Amino acid sequence: MAKAWEVHGLHGDLRFEEAAGRVILTRWREMMSFREGTLAGEDIEELHAMRVSSRRLRAAMDAFADAFPSRPFKRRLKRVKEITDTLGDARDLDVAVEGLEAILPEMAPEERPGIEALIAEYRDRRADENRHIVALFERLDDEGFADDFERWVARRTGVTVEELDPQPPARH
Amino acid sequence: MAKPRPVPGIDPHRRIRPNARRILAVRVDEVWSYEPFVSDPNAVRELHDMRIACKRLRYLLEIFAVAFADDLEPYIDEVKDLQDLLGEIHDRDVQVPMLAEHLEELREHGDVAARRLVAQERRTRVNGGSVSEASYRSFRRRLEAWSRADQRPGIEALLARRRQERDALYARFLGEWARLRDEGFRARLEDVLGIR
Repeated sequence: MAKAWEVHGLHGDLRFEEAAGRVILTRWREMMSFREGTLAGEDIEELHAMRVSSRRLRAAMDAFADAFPSRPFKRRLKRVKEITDTLGDARDLDVAVEGLEAILPEMAPEERPGIEALIAEYRDRRADENRHIVALFERLDDEGFADDFERWVARRTGVTVEELDPQPPARH
Repeated sequence: MAKPRPVPGIDPHRRIRPNARRILAVRVDEVWSYEPFVSDPNAVRELHDMRIACKRLRYLLEIFAVAFADDLEPYIDEVKDLQDLLGEIHDRDVQVPMLAEHLEELREHGDVAARRLVAQERRTRVNGGSVSEASYRSFRRRLEAWSRADQRPGIEALLARRRQERDALYARFLGEWARLRDEGFRARLEDVLGIR
């Protein structure tokens, strides 16, 4: 699993709302860093990493919900939830295919057609999910969601993404 | 899915710790609110909701860890293990009825296909009179091909496997829950968070 990005400047003495800005903007950038790899669709781990990050972002938004006014917060949380759910549907199928492929060699010859047919069906559905992912990100781009999200969090918490400058963990 | 309970008294202008304590107290209580359902293997919905409650608590512990002097990592690990175990159980609870339904459809289709094959052969015999060695071999070949392509044995085996896994996972979950209770895990967690 992809490691969570370190949240710069986070410590126990921060005000709740500033901590909210730091954590949420870091998790947001972390999630978006896997966007291109996910859309390319060549490595299922990119999608997995993006989904994990999106869940971290959602958890952070849930944790700090009280730092934001309710209605605009819910609108943005709904969009993030949409990202998690769309990626989740694709990820579930990736996991299902991997699981079935792993047990296939253990199955008796007469049991294999059923498992192979199931794998084929899941692969077809997975191809459909790719289209849903592309459509979702096109829609988010049309709405200018990324800019709106970053500016809105900054306005509410006083933390800007430029000043925070979230970075992926160093590779060893 | 059960919605998280609202947390009263959060003040965004105060520091993280007092707010985190209020939030975590509610989320810890949420996990343990499912305890009455733990011993019921058929409480599928409640076990799923308990998993969601564990997930919320785990992420909150990770996010707010910075506000506490003690290392929360061992507690996070325990909650994560519980969440993972409940997640594995939930996967089977979703898969088993889906596979059972799929199998039922295959059985219906399989019966129709088998009846069609035999009826076809019967018509050939009636029309042609005697059964030649060649037509018998052809019938056997088609029957064997149909049997080779039959998806039912695989789905039956997979269904049996998933049911066994569910039973084993649930037994493991019961054992883990009993261990946490015996070790006074909830009380220790609440002490570390200062919410007891």
